[in-house]
Amino acid sequence: MASALDYSETMTEVVVFNKERHIKYFLRCLKTFLPDLYTSNDSNRILLAYFTVAGLDLLGELHNRTTLEERQGYIEWIYHCQVPSGGFRGFTGTDFGPERRTPANEVWDPANVPSTFFALLILLTLGDDLSRVKRTECLQWLSRMQRENGSFGEVLGSDEKIEGGGDLRFCCFGAGTRYILRGTGEEDLVGDKDIDVDKLVAFIEACQTYDGGIGEAPFCESHSGHTYCAIGALTFLDRLSKNHKPIELLTPGAGPFESLVRWLVARQTSELGDDEDEGGDERGDSHDADGVENLSVTVGELSLDAKADQLPVIRPATKDSLRWAGFNGRCNKYADTCYSFWNTASLHMMDRLGLVDVTRNRRYLLEKTQHIVGGFGKGVGEPPDLLHSYFGLVSLAFQEEPGLECVDPALCSSYRTVQHLHSLPWWQKKA
Amino acid sequence: MSNKYTSDPTWASIQPIPLNDGSESGIIPLATIAYADEYVEATSYLRAVMAANEISERALKLTDHVIALNPAHYTVWIYRVQNLLALKKDFTEEFEWLNKMSLKHLKNYQIWHHRQVLMSFREKFPTLPPGELDFLMEMFKQDAKNYHVWTYRHWLVRHFRLWDEPREIQDIDFLLSQDVRNNSAWNHRFMLRFGPRSDEPDGGMPNSTAPSPEKGRLAVVDEDLVDAELEYVKGKLIRAPENRSPWAYARGVLRASGRPLSEWKDFAKLFVLEKLEDGKVVDVEVKSSHAVEWLADVYAQEGESTTSEAVRMFTLLKEKYDPIRKNYWDYRMRMISPATQNQEISASA
Repeated sequence: MASALDYSETMTEVVVFNKERHIKYFLRCLKTFLPDLYTSNDSNRILLAYFTVAGLDLLGELHNRTTLEERQGYIEWIYHCQVPSGGFRGFTGTDFGPERRTPANEVWDPANVPSTFFALLILLTLGDDLSRVKRTECLQWLSRMQRENGSFGEVLGSDEKIEGGGDLRFCCFGAGTRYILRGTGEEDLVGDKDIDVDKLVAFIEACQTYDGGIGEAPFCESHSGHTYCAIGALTFLDRLSKNHKPIELLTPGAGPFESLVRWLVARQTSELGDDEDEGGDERGDSHDADGVENLSVTVGELSLDAKADQLPVIRPATKDSLRWAGFNGRCNKYADTCYSFWNTASLHMMDRLGLVDVTRNRRYLLEKTQHIVGGFGKGVGEPPDLLHSYFGLVSLAFQEEPGLECVDPALCSSYRTVQHLHSLPWWQKKA
Repeated sequence: MSNKYTSDPTWASIQPIPLNDGSESGIIPLATIAYADEYVEATSYLRAVMAANEISERALKLTDHVIALNPAHYTVWIYRVQNLLALKKDFTEEFEWLNKMSLKHLKNYQIWHHRQVLMSFREKFPTLPPGELDFLMEMFKQDAKNYHVWTYRHWLVRHFRLWDEPREIQDIDFLLSQDVRNNSAWNHRFMLRFGPRSDEPDGGMPNSTAPSPEKGRLAVVDEDLVDAELEYVKGKLIRAPENRSPWAYARGVLRASGRPLSEWKDFAKLFVLEKLEDGKVVDVEVKSSHAVEWLADVYAQEGESTTSEAVRMFTLLKEKYDPIRKNYWDYRMRMISPATQNQEISASA
């Protein structure tokens, strides 16, 4: 897949993927305490756990560097996070203990939509068969998490009130949980209430904006993270039911599809935010604008033609200025490691990954945000954190970096994990 | 050990509930954090008051503390709202506290969701309270592209029906004069001008639930408004043409009004100057790569007679002005090339 690029031909490539360091980084996160700094992410411990376990799995080392007992211990902890009524809590911090839990106080220790999805993925990655997952309860709870407008909430509050923002994150992980637990052999779920798929699709479609990208909710600015969630949710729905009407966002040639491709591809940028003098910093053009504006005051009411005459001719890009190109998450923002994932994962699900410049993305990740101690930072020179470390790895895995497992872009897990899921009983289509 | 609560007589009646991370045999917790003692103690009291469904001043104060340490805690906010309502607390005070939190934790979903929850109480806020927009502008001083603040402001516009309030567009004009590359401000402008109004279903563009090509197109077009917006964009582009946001905005405006991209063909040509000798193009001076893309799209739409023009524009982008997207420009050329017209378009480069 790595395409030979005109610009790189004369350069000797010494870009190194430091696999052993990454293994050390993830092992440290797995086996020692995360620093106090992570306290503000305490409620997302399941997500942090997922990055840790899935990171080692991606590096092909989960089974080599942990014992069977350890993996069983991790599995027990995930089940410890399952709430009695179905679904998983995001962290143990809300748990009062089974002896104190009552119908009156259980709303303060609810199952959480994204955490449920990631808990299931951790169990699958660790080789568990999900036999202790309260599967029907979880699917029933999920159908109660969907709002009238088709979107999903985060947790169920008092009087069945759907709490949490109305954004696409919850839509994606709701659809993903349904995908994992519903499977293809639906016979055993006949009669159980399912989510309203058509309403969810309509909500997601309404989030596409005038520039082709997709925002957090209808009328919000397009954002790669939310675009990933939208395409992820649609992919989960599409994979389970092939007979529904075609979803335009997943249909090559359709307007919404092609405008989204254009928007995603436009996210790749050589503006890394690491050099104050670089031509196109986030406010670069406005500085130019000031200069021209002063000029226009002195020359008065010029026509557009005359004003255009005064504009400088742009110099074509050079080898040096384009050596690195990561991705941003919104128009006119700097590159950031996680957007190398959100954008390429979306394109991967749309079968359009070949349209990006993989060589420059690789250089950006390995030369600019890969950290000396292992892991990846958010931007140039920043310390590593779990989220950016995992997403940096996945983006490289999409590009078939040697030493990394193949990753399914929707489940964001290794093919090995996905194969294991598809071997479970409710994934066996009965003849 | 922290003893802020254990040593406080106000809390003497409460038996804290320690964190149960599954220390019983066999369980190995994942993603363990080296918590500060202060957090360990505060959350153990939080679990205790939640388990008892306590509604009290002390519980409310405790939520202040836990939120300050972990603003992403998803149930503490819901619990806080319940306390605020049951204790009939003054929302003015709550907003003062919230403003401080917002300025301290710039990137947090829950803070802005909480603000929306409070502001949704019609009996408390029948109309937009004074100072609300000033505070949002204060937030934009810290980060003019803060996604959560913009999302909240969009909600505010719909909730209080502010599309035509002069203040909205004034703030946008101000922010664009500060930074013409602020895509969040451009997006908000689009919503003000062309977004669904009153009780129409919400959508990221006009007529958003319709299938394409109707999707994105207004049912009723105010041609004067469209003309004014297009002139506004031209005024911004002529000063800083290598700025993707206004070009995308103009595409959205034309689409909403059902007008073709070719309406801007001459304008785009101001930035792509072809030097002719004996009727042949010998050199091209480019002042905006986005104008080249615009012309490529116009030529591609015009059909076979201009295919070679489109290819020339895409080639300029591919070879000189936007080589990062080389594979994409090839993809676009394959889409218009007659030889491959009826074949499956291959995405692999």
